[in-house]
Amino acid sequence: MKALTIDRLSKTYFDPYKGTQVTAVRDVSLQVAPGEFVSVVGPSGCGKTTILNMIAGFLPHTGGEIRVDGRPIEGPGPDRGVVFQSFALFPWKTVLDNVGFGPKMRGVPRAERDRIAHEYLALAGLSHAADRYPAELSGGMQQRVGVVRALANEPDVLLMDEPFASVDAQTRLVLQEELTRIWQQRRTTVLFITHDVPEAVFLANRVVVMSQGRVLEEIEVPLAHPRRWDVLVEDDAFKSLSARVLQRVRTA
Amino acid sequence: MSAAARSAIPRVRWHHRLQRGWVRATTAWPGLRSVLPFVPLVFSWWLVAELEVFPRAFLPGPGDVARSFVSLVRKGILPEYLADSITRLAVGTAAGVAIAIPLGVLIGMSRRAHAALWPPLLFFQAVGDIAWLPILLIWFGFGLTTMTFVIVYTVLFPVVLNTVLGIRSVNTDLVRAARSLGASRARVIWEVMLPGALPNIMTGLRNGLGYGWRALIAAEIIVGTSGIGFLMFDARRAGSVVEIMLGMVVLGVLWYAVDAWILAPIERATGQRWGMVTR
Repeated sequence: MKALTIDRLSKTYFDPYKGTQVTAVRDVSLQVAPGEFVSVVGPSGCGKTTILNMIAGFLPHTGGEIRVDGRPIEGPGPDRGVVFQSFALFPWKTVLDNVGFGPKMRGVPRAERDRIAHEYLALAGLSHAADRYPAELSGGMQQRVGVVRALANEPDVLLMDEPFASVDAQTRLVLQEELTRIWQQRRTTVLFITHDVPEAVFLANRVVVMSQGRVLEEIEVPLAHPRRWDVLVEDDAFKSLSARVLQRVRTA
Repeated sequence: MSAAARSAIPRVRWHHRLQRGWVRATTAWPGLRSVLPFVPLVFSWWLVAELEVFPRAFLPGPGDVARSFVSLVRKGILPEYLADSITRLAVGTAAGVAIAIPLGVLIGMSRRAHAALWPPLLFFQAVGDIAWLPILLIWFGFGLTTMTFVIVYTVLFPVVLNTVLGIRSVNTDLVRAARSLGASRARVIWEVMLPGALPNIMTGLRNGLGYGWRALIAAEIIVGTSGIGFLMFDARRAGSVVEIMLGMVVLGVLWYAVDAWILAPIERATGQRWGMVTR
């Protein structure tokens, strides 16, 4: 549970088709406090995924600074766990070995990392699937494994890149509720990227609205945890917050 | 019962019975699936030979070839030659794969290695295996070195090219996932790149073995003092069509066996099991 600090972050790259420099992210500053859940929402191409890829260390940034727990980041690392839209599970590893991958890279012996993996699988109600291969699971189950795999490595910060965008609508609601429950238990620092406004509000303590590579507005979400759709769907505070965020996204 | 009602009852047709029988039989004896398709072929061959459409000395029947098989096995010639050919293929393939996979990984992962090695690779691929034989014969003479070189050379290219393809088609997110879970670049090769490229590497191996097998027979015909290729060419000198045909049958059966007992099980246990390739 550590802080994530982004200071005047920029990304420009050369577009060989246009023949010019393009700015994807412009002077973005953002603080995520230890144990805070922050959603970043914005239309396609607003730079939100680029920011996440820079924080994860997948893309180099061209300006500004990214610090986790006060230390500037250098390439990808186990201090920043990532959950992908494409799940990115290793098809040749069982669910158990996928979840135990992080501990394995740390040199944790087999028995111990299996114990860790089983513990985390239980957290997501996946104990029965430990010996299956990812391709044998539904999309929703695969992404549960994706979340749990990132958590099992006990990262300082959890980065989630539209993780529920490719599962069906019913499963998505369930996964969102599970995520708030797990977050409440673990209090991991989370940065969650999405283009889905209700999802952003439902999950977060704070919603950051982005457009054209800039932060437009930050909106606090003072709703109690754990959050449940059957309650919040009728909740006036939730509805007015969602409306406010939606308004900001649409005028962006 | 009226006529209309009677015709509504589905009748079990003869081809349904046949289909059901086929499913039952192949479940009981899986070997049937690989043997039965050859029955019409062998029957036609037998018929043409028996009718003596061509002179017997030019086209012997399946029975003649089977008798020749038994006699060559009894004399110990066929087992010995077969062992020689298979050993050469195994040694050559192992050496070829040992060079090809690391080379493919290097070219697949490094832009510089690709720029430096890809053009010469294509150049030498074009100078086919057999085209090397004249110069190899001058350099190494009629021997094992020449044959091994040809097999290694033949196996190398399909495995390298397919490994490169496999490495390059590994999903970027898998590499990113591994890196953000703490894998070093070196471990990513072992944990992600190689298993990710495995279905393509298997395709390369399948092609390489197929080409290698053919190159070996060609090399044995020209260079050899033993082996299936030598057996066939030696039979030509003696004018024995039976033994030539026996050699051809052995080649086909052996390839079928390699496929069914080695390649297909590996593919079933890896790519197909992991859902990376569809059947």
